Amino acid sequence: MRTVRFGIFIIAAAMILALALFAGPRMINPFHLSGTEREILFAIRLPRVVVAMLMGMALGASGAILQGVLRNPLADPYILGISSGASLAAALGLMSGFYFFGSLSVPVAAFIGATLVSLLVGAFGWKRGGLWPERLLLAGIGLNFLFSAVLMLLMSVSSDEGLRRAVLWMFGDLSMADWTLIPPASAFVVVGLGIAFARSKALNALILGDEFAHSLGFAVQRERLFMFAAMALMTSASVSLGGTIGFIGLLMPHIVRFLLGADSRVLIPASAVAGGAFLCLADLIGRSLMPPMELPSGTVTAVIGAPYFLYLLRRKDVLSV
Amino acid sequence: MFSVYSGPILELRDVSYRYPGHRLIVDKLGFSIGNGEFIGLLGANGSGKSTILKLAAGMLYPAAGDIRLWDKPLPAYRNKDRAKLLCYFPQHLDVNAPFTVREIVGMGLYPYDIPPQMTVDEAVEMVGLGEKAGAYVTNLSGGERRRVFIAMTLIQGAGILLLDEPLANLDIKYQIEFLRLLRGLQEKKGISVIMALHDINVALQFEKVMLIKEGSILGIGSPETVLTGEMIKQAFDVAVEIRKSDRGGTHITHERWF
Repeated sequence: MRTVRFGIFIIAAAMILALALFAGPRMINPFHLSGTEREILFAIRLPRVVVAMLMGMALGASGAILQGVLRNPLADPYILGISSGASLAAALGLMSGFYFFGSLSVPVAAFIGATLVSLLVGAFGWKRGGLWPERLLLAGIGLNFLFSAVLMLLMSVSSDEGLRRAVLWMFGDLSMADWTLIPPASAFVVVGLGIAFARSKALNALILGDEFAHSLGFAVQRERLFMFAAMALMTSASVSLGGTIGFIGLLMPHIVRFLLGADSRVLIPASAVAGGAFLCLADLIGRSLMPPMELPSGTVTAVIGAPYFLYLLRRKDVLSV
Repeated sequence: MFSVYSGPILELRDVSYRYPGHRLIVDKLGFSIGNGEFIGLLGANGSGKSTILKLAAGMLYPAAGDIRLWDKPLPAYRNKDRAKLLCYFPQHLDVNAPFTVREIVGMGLYPYDIPPQMTVDEAVEMVGLGEKAGAYVTNLSGGERRRVFIAMTLIQGAGILLLDEPLANLDIKYQIEFLRLLRGLQEKKGISVIMALHDINVALQFEKVMLIKEGSILGIGSPETVLTGEMIKQAFDVAVEIRKSDRGGTHITHERWF
């Protein structure tokens, strides 16, 4: 039964991917490509779909990891302040004239910000030789408020046009996606996914509690650190690719648990696939709904995601770690 | 030639422990357990039962003293190797993930590269959950959940079980069944058990009892010698009487509770 569902799940994801590539304001027939269409496909559509896929995969898997590590169904990568920290870093970078990397300055600043915040949250969550879930969560929430407040402050005192653009970009915009950032970002996502998948048995054990995890032969603190590092790598890569797109990290693990169960060995890869497909779909809707205007993908994910999340909430025993 | 080891399989020597910033929870405690031995660990709330079991499981590091498993220091074991010899069963089970019964029981095989003989379905059957093997643990009652974890412990196959109040939340039927199941494993496989308890009547069923007060041993030995009215008064601060029943059991009696 579960195998059948898994098959349907993969087929649905593949169909969405194909749809995202060939549908849109301009439909492309993959069997009859004209020169312009080939140009659109390879220079615009494909990198955009790849970026959406990578971001969604990173966020979906990160959410699955974090909900398990924190043993909290409400956790997502942004609750730890990674998004607001990245936005703040991007804004600060632009204000202080950080144009060192040219057009890549914003993504690079965002990546540095996200990584620094992850380290900071980890430092606050660290006590007696290990990371403690409650401390991590509370530290993250505290830092999130702090960074959002400082960002607000900066926005209200500055008239810098660059700053405004950076902040808008941070809300999740895939329209500028091109090939430049894909190789380094995909390396981070692959490494993060690899670590998480390799340690997925340990994550299962951690979900049962530290005591069972220890009894089953796992070094609890080391495993938690691995998982946190995998999450931080993927989230930072995602933020630098296209800003902070909400709801994927929170929602995807819940949908996958509902359909395929809680075993992390399935949950992590399936949340990644679901996240990738979902963001491709959201982006497709965002650019097709009222062309030539584009809706930011983050808005679309929230508008589709929030009602579905509330629907799941009504179903018994779904919203759990 | 090789010699057969016949000493204690788990030994605590002068072990002390304190939680950071607190008084000593365990104070120069020493005891050992031999192959196939069952020990009931009895003491009032906060007497240090759980801490002693966590120290013995290698989950906490003693401030002083050392712990030896099969005559080798406990920290010298690799985690996975230790898990095949020694298993800890926590007091609180709070799992709210929709794992199925079979999935959780299967986690008992994580320490192994080559699975041992018992299959997941056999273990599930042994705790009487055969019909619910595919059910989500989140839909089971407290007692049923406990049996799921008992099945996981069985399949993990460790020779030493450190059980922290495993009978809590269990109906009396399953309390008796669980104790008999352990007895059967003792006879078949020679497992050893240290079980934290706070029910004196259950402790009276054990051949060996260790009575704890404030992290020190008040008495260790057969229930007849350790669980006297006077010792129980010391450990629990309550006056009771130990009676033999006509049917061969022993139990405590107390004046009307309220």
